[in-house]
Amino acid sequence: MVQVVFSPKWFWGKDIFIDSVSAFVLILIAIFVTRYYRINKSRNYLYFAISFYLIALSFLSKILINFTVYYQVLHTQVIGSMQYAHTILKSSEILAISGLFFYRLLNLAGLFMLYSIYEKQSKANILLMTFFIITSVFLSKEEYYMFYVLSFILLGIITNRYYQNYRRNKKKETAMLAASFAVITLSQLPFMLVSFTKHLYVAGEAMQLIGYTILLFTFVSVLKHGREKDKKRYNR
Amino acid sequence: MGGKRTRSDIIGDMLSSIIERGGQIKPTHLMYKSNMSHGQMKAYIDDLIGKELVKKSKKGNYDYVIITDKGHEFIQKLREIKEFERAFGL
Repeated sequence: MVQVVFSPKWFWGKDIFIDSVSAFVLILIAIFVTRYYRINKSRNYLYFAISFYLIALSFLSKILINFTVYYQVLHTQVIGSMQYAHTILKSSEILAISGLFFYRLLNLAGLFMLYSIYEKQSKANILLMTFFIITSVFLSKEEYYMFYVLSFILLGIITNRYYQNYRRNKKKETAMLAASFAVITLSQLPFMLVSFTKHLYVAGEAMQLIGYTILLFTFVSVLKHGREKDKKRYNR
Repeated sequence: MGGKRTRSDIIGDMLSSIIERGGQIKPTHLMYKSNMSHGQMKAYIDDLIGKELVKKSKKGNYDYVIITDKGHEFIQKLREIKEFERAFGL
């Protein structure tokens, strides 16, 4: 049986809220970056927006799975009919497994795209990574931690890039950005070990919430800082 | 700033130069302040007029390039983009 629910029961719904916040932050930034792309036509902006949309979509997938499973399990308990429970769990399992597949695929695709903005990839590398991502998504069906290991690696590389950027310009916003991605990267560790205790899922979700909240504040701060420069010259 | 200026960099510099002069500037001054050739600047001004970011006006014997409200909003957006670019290392 494939494991689709990692959350302890008392945490049901709270994880949906955290994933909704994460998706909201990603979509908000992606919308702004799409507008920026329309102005300066730089491909990096386009890829950045697409990568954030992909990761946001992956969270929406996860929300859909969790919502369906939690709701149907609770609903089944209330109804209490064996035949009904069997039918409903069967259909929700199919939805959950396919949802989980898309969650992992979209998340890794988004992270790889974001990583590729900073580390230019040859066509051969893109092909190789696509194969590697699809393979690890399939393997994650049985060995769920494979997905978290790969996302930990990709997030780690992206975080390192943001940290190097901070070392170059020493700005508050770049430090916050590196910190937010560092927390999101570290949140993959408890997710990896969730088979030991479901409480690690709670820890992972809490870290994810902190990471995306810092990311939101970073973005707001970037916008505010940009607007404060009114009287200064554009390029300085 | 090092490196080749992008199109949005040039437009940003032009609009900033106009703002620095109180919202209006003579075309020759704009040319010097934005580091452009005459031909380049003419093409850019025509483009900016087409997009309603600036307008031309005659005062006495001189032509002036005047920034519009839309131009002010646009430079604001460009500053945001520049800041985003710096923060996210794009």
